[in-house]
Amino acid sequence: MTSTTSPKIEARRPSPAPVPGNPRNRGGRPSGLPWILPAFVFVVGLIYYCIVETGYLSTLDWDGTSPTPTSVGAANYTAIIQDPIFWRAIWHTVVFFIVTFTVQTAIGFVFAALLHSKVRLGAVYKVLVFTPVVLAPATMAPVFRQMFAADGQLNWALDHIGLGFLSQPWLAQSATAMPVVMFITVWQFTGLTFVLYYAAMGQIDPETLEAARTDGASNLRVLMNIVWPGVRGTTVALAMLGVIGALKTFDVPYLVTIGGPNYSTEFLGTYIYRISIPSAHVGYGAALSILLLILALLGAITVAARANRKDGESSV
Amino acid sequence: MLGSSRIWKRRLPGAAAVFTAAVLALAGCAGGATTETTDKGSADSGTITWWGWTPDAAPAEAYIKAFNKAYPNIKVTYKKLTIDGYDAAIRPALASSVGPDVFDVAPGAANGSVDIYGVNAIDLTPAVEKSLGADWKSKLAPIGVSSLTKDGKLAALSVGSNYAGSVWVNQDLFDKYGLKPPATYDEWKSVCAAFKTHGVKCFVQGAAQTAFNEDTLQAISNNIEPGVWARALDKKVPWTDPTIVQALTIWKKLFDDKIMQDGALGVQQYPDANNDFMSGKAAMVMMGTWYMQYSTVEGSTAAISGAGVANPKPFTQLPIAFPDVAGTGNVGSLYGDADFGLAVNKKSKSIAAATTFATWLGTSQAGQQAVGDILNDIPALTSVQPDWTSIKLVNPTAQQPALEKLISDAGKSAEPRLATVSADLQTAIGVASTTVAAGQATPEQAAATLQSAAEKLK
Repeated sequence: MTSTTSPKIEARRPSPAPVPGNPRNRGGRPSGLPWILPAFVFVVGLIYYCIVETGYLSTLDWDGTSPTPTSVGAANYTAIIQDPIFWRAIWHTVVFFIVTFTVQTAIGFVFAALLHSKVRLGAVYKVLVFTPVVLAPATMAPVFRQMFAADGQLNWALDHIGLGFLSQPWLAQSATAMPVVMFITVWQFTGLTFVLYYAAMGQIDPETLEAARTDGASNLRVLMNIVWPGVRGTTVALAMLGVIGALKTFDVPYLVTIGGPNYSTEFLGTYIYRISIPSAHVGYGAALSILLLILALLGAITVAARANRKDGESSV
Repeated sequence: MLGSSRIWKRRLPGAAAVFTAAVLALAGCAGGATTETTDKGSADSGTITWWGWTPDAAPAEAYIKAFNKAYPNIKVTYKKLTIDGYDAAIRPALASSVGPDVFDVAPGAANGSVDIYGVNAIDLTPAVEKSLGADWKSKLAPIGVSSLTKDGKLAALSVGSNYAGSVWVNQDLFDKYGLKPPATYDEWKSVCAAFKTHGVKCFVQGAAQTAFNEDTLQAISNNIEPGVWARALDKKVPWTDPTIVQALTIWKKLFDDKIMQDGALGVQQYPDANNDFMSGKAAMVMMGTWYMQYSTVEGSTAAISGAGVANPKPFTQLPIAFPDVAGTGNVGSLYGDADFGLAVNKKSKSIAAATTFATWLGTSQAGQQAVGDILNDIPALTSVQPDWTSIKLVNPTAQQPALEKLISDAGKSAEPRLATVSADLQTAIGVASTTVAAGQATPEQAAATLQSAAEKLK
């Protein structure tokens, strides 16, 4: 398809006539280099240079300041494979992604569907749902630490509604610290999920919905069989962002639980920081960073590939 | 294809030049010369920046004010960073060419380790010789000189020393409820039960910030058998020594018997535990000699205000010996290091002025008197003592004798606190302390894991 359409496009858009005397016309087309130079310098110079530099650092045993780093080849990577904290961080990432993505998707989708119907004060609800997205985690972290503290507001509320037996030091226990981190993340990012679903639902052809209703489909049936497949592209994009976001998780666990207690909320991001900065194992931290990059790419590619395969199956 | 490859052949050198320029520009940003700046600037004038995690803003301001009486033409700007954020900030700053002129370093592997950042500092030996003479070593606390000397280079000048092992109490709260600061484990338990009935937290420990758990564990260990903890740090006894195992057992008991506040494992020493104590929500906290500064009206007011109290009212803070939790009678142990030293950045454009400031604060009579009177550190210059006539304590009758005793006892201690603890060992001790407290490991298992981790360290 592409090979047959391209020449038509070329034929419709002939090259501009050469301007006499312009030295740039020697090759027949103006040079694109000046146009891409700023982006080229930024992308190649900054991002890829940093990746290459991090890759190099990952082969060193270095504290970050010593003038004499030692080359250790792939030893940092070998050590990571045998590092139980690394595997715990990976496991936490997987669980974190599954739970937060599922809950955010469910709440965001339902809110978007509800607010597409004519509810009173709909604009107010939209603002309320989206507000947490714009609040910085650093601002909210002390609030949540206070709220979930042993003498915090959550336990106070539980005590006052007769559920005092549920009171506990939420951030001090391995079993409850991770759910708290997940709760905060869901609270913070469900607004984004909601907004994207809300926009995607606006693109669904109203005639299709009307036809379904004329055929007697219930609201739930319309939601599951027409709206949900209609926003599939948004779900895939959110899944991809979710995978990358889960792998990059840092601010909430670091600011609320410092990755603890006993590494129970340790993620790759917090572990990289812990290893690179306080422990000054910059080479090991760089190797973890490279693995994080590879995992993020693999995760995004996997989600995209599965989505493409499903698209292919459904079009057949 | 042929045409495009020709174009590439023509354009490749240009693209390569751009790429190289970008890489070099970035390398320039990230690195810079590692050698000492040759132009040292003026020693009597200029503008310098000082970065540190300690002292607090108010003492730093007082030091700078006193310094400017002697050197009015050197403007010093202090930037206080958090304890946990210091390494993240100072490492790239020192790698760049625009880092601070003077920066804090500390012995050991805690934040601002001289082992790591000493390489970025100039040798201050000539400056201290000029200030104190050839016999300068005899005039300074040995602990401050040896622990801040790296590969034969005096990388920083100790401003003073700090010792841990004491517990600080809010005497006003004890008086209010007719309680006495505990001296034994049973007294401690009953005092905590009594405070609980009044809705007051008893003893707060930020067990999530594991570096401070070491202080409590070392105090318990010294109570059982003095010196074993220090010998374990020195690899002379294993971490599986019965004293260490018993210390971990008592540590766990503090949690089980509710001497530790609920949820201690989710709390940080700074700011949480400190704020609880300063705001009067808790009666006791495990802190060291650096807490002496809050015995003054000014220091106490600033700290209480910093803890979020709207109308800060200073209260009587007193140091007491760590209670005799093992029933051995071995109480009152203190362990410490040089608190922090001032290092001069070798890339500074004002090395001479920065050296003047570091030398004045670390070695001059006036500078060290300012340090002594603020009560944040025990002065590095051994001839200097706090001038009690000029220090406004909240409750002089109760506090002055207690502070004088604390300073005197600290001066007799030779036991290190963090100076010999590597970052990895600190992590391993932290894991041992939290897994035991959470019931995820027995004291024996935690001690064995700690020993195993210690053996793997270089």
